[in-house]
Amino acid sequence: MRIKSALAAAAIVTLAAACGGGGGGEPAGPGEPVKLDFLSLAWQKESVAANKELVNEWNKAHPDIQVTYVQGSWDNVNDQLVTQFAGGTAPDVIHNDSPALAGFASDGYLLDLSGKLPAELKSDIPQHAWDTVTFAGGEGEQGVYGVPFLQESQVIIANKKLLDESGARVPTPEEPWTWDEFSEAAKKMTKDGRYGVAWAMKSPVNKTLNLALNFGGTFFQTTDGNTTVKVGPEEREVLQRIHDQLYKDKSADPAALGQGTADPLPAFFQGKFAMLPTGVYLRQQVVEQAPDGFEWVTLPAPKGTSAQQGAVSQTLSIAQESEHPDEAMQFISFFLNAANQAKLAKGDWLLPTSQKAAADAAMTTKENGWDVATASAQNLVVAPFLKVNGYDEWRSKVATPVLQEYFANKISLDEVAKRLVEEGNQVLERYHR
Amino acid sequence: MTATATRPAPPRAPRAKRRGASRQKREMWLLMLPAMVPVLLFSVGPLLYGIGLAFTDARNTRVHETSFVGLENFTRMLSDEQFWASFQIGAIWSISVTVLQFLAALGLALLLNMNLRFRSVARVLAVVPWAMPPVVIGLMWKLVYHPDAGILNDLLGTDINWLADFSLALPAIIVVGVWTGMPQTTVVLLAGLQNVPKELYEAGEVDGAGRWRRFWNITLPQLRPVIVAITSLDFVWNFNQFGLVYVLTQGGPGGRTRLPMLFAYEEAFRYRAAGYASMLGLAMAIVVLAVLGLYLWRQMREAK
Repeated sequence: MRIKSALAAAAIVTLAAACGGGGGGEPAGPGEPVKLDFLSLAWQKESVAANKELVNEWNKAHPDIQVTYVQGSWDNVNDQLVTQFAGGTAPDVIHNDSPALAGFASDGYLLDLSGKLPAELKSDIPQHAWDTVTFAGGEGEQGVYGVPFLQESQVIIANKKLLDESGARVPTPEEPWTWDEFSEAAKKMTKDGRYGVAWAMKSPVNKTLNLALNFGGTFFQTTDGNTTVKVGPEEREVLQRIHDQLYKDKSADPAALGQGTADPLPAFFQGKFAMLPTGVYLRQQVVEQAPDGFEWVTLPAPKGTSAQQGAVSQTLSIAQESEHPDEAMQFISFFLNAANQAKLAKGDWLLPTSQKAAADAAMTTKENGWDVATASAQNLVVAPFLKVNGYDEWRSKVATPVLQEYFANKISLDEVAKRLVEEGNQVLERYHR
Repeated sequence: MTATATRPAPPRAPRAKRRGASRQKREMWLLMLPAMVPVLLFSVGPLLYGIGLAFTDARNTRVHETSFVGLENFTRMLSDEQFWASFQIGAIWSISVTVLQFLAALGLALLLNMNLRFRSVARVLAVVPWAMPPVVIGLMWKLVYHPDAGILNDLLGTDINWLADFSLALPAIIVVGVWTGMPQTTVVLLAGLQNVPKELYEAGEVDGAGRWRRFWNITLPQLRPVIVAITSLDFVWNFNQFGLVYVLTQGGPGGRTRLPMLFAYEEAFRYRAAGYASMLGLAMAIVVLAVLGLYLWRQMREAK
């Protein structure tokens, strides 16, 4: 028995040593190129191609800094990063989105870039985009923990034929539908066993919270550095309106509720419903999958008291434990210069943060709704939940089940409010200690 | 008796014996060492480390100083409604999958044990799900259940989103669980069936016992040890199932399929609460051991 425990102790020591010593790559000797790993989450075909092309271009121009493209996936990137960070094997340059950065920044895993950003990159990206990546770091200090480069806004993709038939006013970026008009139009398009609209609500939280800003719904309030959940009349507006479309007007397709963003497309092409509120990037899937002769248009998202939407951005960050942070920064500033951002934005069908890239002719063409998409960028404001510590746990433990149940008509709006606040504050409390 | 008792014991014999025994023991340890090292290094070590973690507030972060918190994780677990909800789902899942798996596999094993044509082909086919990793099974069934393109809705002519429906998601994944675990259960039961002596059936037939009677009074009692072994193993496997559900539903909709393993995984790798997650793992291991111990003990006692 004594031998056993002694061996076990030895085993633990060996394991711990093995884990502790595993970090990073070998330091580059003289004349050897610096090696960087770049974790990319690009998944649409064009976007992967654009990413790889830029990496190749960089590698050719910089024989002394070689970048390896590592393919990741949005589905499990955060689980993967938690493990890699803990094991000290994280890639140097990390592609992610701003909601995830807050957590990793306060864990101390990401490098504060504020002192390293080249002036040109800093001025090309507007301040409101930088706000989406400015968080309190491990020691509580504010820092910039990523470079925001692609933004997603919500639009409505509509079947042109059904839209024209309904006789509803066609909204423009200058004059979008109000939510009342939107619901009215959805009702007009609901006939002959066809629905006006489809809400894909498998992951309902970010979508709902971003749209809730239309009516000034922030869902979180901070008093004395203490963040709590709030569900007041402003927050209820969008929830209630979507619910009404589903169960009062019966103008929304209930089959889409449990589906992920791209899942309703086959039904959309078959004309089972007329409008699909979704992120701008889905246009790419529509172009790729739509049957010949299918006509569609991109409409701006409806407005409430304002047309504001919460913005999250895709980001590039540098790992705290990267051995070559300066080289990594050089790579990022090349990768995200205006010309390259335009390429990436085109590849992913998202909006570039770079002002120069946004002015690119390809970003404002009428074709495939780029003009509407780019115009929607001006409505983007920092999503309030971005700065909430513990948001991720609140979202998956509390808000996702509650909203799914609400949209499935299992619970009332009052119960939604009660649970989001009570159970939510319990979760957030753990993060204040 | 008296003679041996009065005679003084030879002084050297026991010591020599003891020395021999200890030498034997040493040799045994030496021989076991190569097998022990990996076990200690990769099973016992991490296990002890995990148990240790369960009593700390360890977090998967770079800036956190881990400190000993005693039973804090345990009390938090007791009052964590979400955990108990997931534990309940885990119980429903593992019991129903184990029972259904056993019934279906027994039927299949009896069928395959009969003198059918193409019996060997059928036996190979029955083992096919075994050859697939859980992730592949998950992806395959995801396609079966797909609301638009799925084969199931096509067959039934329905328009149901199986994996996203609050009341259907759990039954839907239970079906997949049964399907996945059937091969090994079938194979084990089939092997057990082939070990039942033919003479017993012949004797039964002579005594005029019908099919059902022979099954109930010969096959089942003869299979008993095999049944106990495979159902308890199945229970443990099913309780610890992770990959399948992770791929199929990720615990949704609304946490309706969030098995305890998935819950612990989320605590550790999504919310970084490594200490709390270790406590959950520990609690689950203890519960599984307790249930299993009780079950085996009762079965043994009845068998006697």
